[in-house]
Amino acid sequence: MSILEEISENLQKGRAKVVKELVQNAVDSGVDPETVLKEGLLPGMSVIGERFKNNEVYVPEVLVAARAMNMGAQVLKPYLERAGIKAAGKICLGTVQGDLHDIGKNLVKMMMEGKGLEVVDLGTDVSPDTFIRTAIDQNCQIIACSALLTTTMGVMEEVVNKAVEAGIRDRVKIMIGGAPVDEAFCRKIGADCYTPDAASAAEAAAGFCASMGA
Amino acid sequence: MTNRERAMNILHFRPADRMPAVHFGYWQELLDEWAAQGKIPADLAEGNFDGSAKEAELDRLIGWDFNWYRTYGSSNHLAPGFETKVIETLPDGTRRVQNADGIIERIKPGITSIPSEDDYLLKDREAFEKLYKPRMQYMPGRVDLEFYSRFNEIRPYDVPVGLHLGSVMGNIRNITTVTGMSYLLYSEDEELFADIVDTYAEMQYKCAEAILQTGAKFDFAHYWEDICFKNGPLMSPAVFDELCAKHYKKRNDLCRRYGIDVISLDCDGVIGKLLPTWVENGVNTMFPIEVGVWGDQFEPARMKFGKEVLGVGGMDKTALREDRAAVDREIERMRRLASLGGFIPCPDHRLMPGTKFELVQYYAEKIKEIRP
Repeated sequence: MSILEEISENLQKGRAKVVKELVQNAVDSGVDPETVLKEGLLPGMSVIGERFKNNEVYVPEVLVAARAMNMGAQVLKPYLERAGIKAAGKICLGTVQGDLHDIGKNLVKMMMEGKGLEVVDLGTDVSPDTFIRTAIDQNCQIIACSALLTTTMGVMEEVVNKAVEAGIRDRVKIMIGGAPVDEAFCRKIGADCYTPDAASAAEAAAGFCASMGA
Repeated sequence: MTNRERAMNILHFRPADRMPAVHFGYWQELLDEWAAQGKIPADLAEGNFDGSAKEAELDRLIGWDFNWYRTYGSSNHLAPGFETKVIETLPDGTRRVQNADGIIERIKPGITSIPSEDDYLLKDREAFEKLYKPRMQYMPGRVDLEFYSRFNEIRPYDVPVGLHLGSVMGNIRNITTVTGMSYLLYSEDEELFADIVDTYAEMQYKCAEAILQTGAKFDFAHYWEDICFKNGPLMSPAVFDELCAKHYKKRNDLCRRYGIDVISLDCDGVIGKLLPTWVENGVNTMFPIEVGVWGDQFEPARMKFGKEVLGVGGMDKTALREDRAAVDREIERMRRLASLGGFIPCPDHRLMPGTKFELVQYYAEKIKEIRP
């Protein structure tokens, strides 16, 4: 097994310390840091995402895998920055105003980072204006909104409307997710994409960013 | 027939004269909304909780027969709880507060949904042994033995009352957060998470045993778990089974020895993958079967486990925000489910803001027309 395969395998098992050591060893032994990212860490996270989507693994396995990926990514970060390697796209993500639930939002963040995307995590209780301002200021390709409550899902429509008002609707995709929303609601409010789980959200985001030439 | 007889007959596949109109309480915001609309007296919006006198008064106003969540229990959680204290106040007024479970919560002014969790204390063996294990021991005072010695004289007999058995996993999730639970499950100390679950479960068993030994009589027993979400369980069903099955069995066997054969479990979300653990270890009544928000269903459980699975819930409460036609559709769906036997319709969670008072009255009236 190559060291890149070892990184991927250990990431899938959530062995954060081992992943960190292996990533450092790989870089020290001359493996290109971008290769370590793209052929070690990201494939491992992709496997976890797919297995999560298929109900073969559950939230704990995703969380420990993501922790392992973060530890590996921290090792790589200075090397990638020096080499000018950029993320495959940029997303601003948050739980909408009035809602403090963040487990789903955090899972989406981990999965998106596992696709090599940069996520601006706006946290919870995020106003429509904050989503729009962040998308403009940080040049995000996607706004991703999460909600758990039927009483807060309406805020997503405000985000869509504010994006239209701000004149960015043609260059920013709006994704929605969370317990009370579905495809029909997505169409009704004029958002671009509803996904039923975190892994699908990451896949869709990666697809959007690729198609938008990020 | 009393509502207690109706409910217990239905859950034992025996005849009943009509379906009882059963509910699961309200969001406080809805009670405030109804009071502001003049639908209910303002004082009924305050101090209105499961089993309270004000709830009974509101039940009469609406036409409900009873709230399923009328349970009695013990101090079967951390004792003493951690000191609740403000860790810091942020410029926007958000407070970071350590709660009684040792969780650091972020509480924002003006937000009424549950707080977000920033951090937690139960991270390793040392924290468990020093901070939590002592708080998870059985001790005198957890059960009010004097109250339970008089229980059969003071309990209501016109509605079913339950013994609250606590929780096997839900409260562990509460004291660790989902993230913490995940990290503990995969801790280098492989026995740690099981030790936490076992210690907590043993204390809860002893509490239930102490109550039942007083001779107090209950119509059903009840767990709270909330360990599932939109896409299923928050943890692997296999891991859940390995950690929890023996504790459900032990507690449920105890209940059956004391004549309690209806054992319900409150779990939000899509619960199907955990049903085998519950049903095979003696939990037989699923509640509240969230069809509206989460898309759960009762029929697959009945098809898989037959009459071993009973249900209380399953009515899409969002219909109560719409119109009579939407309610009528739910009534018809409930009529079909009720015909299966062993099923009592109930809104699939607490009624939320925007629910129309008159529609709730209408539903309560119509559901009673169902003949089980």
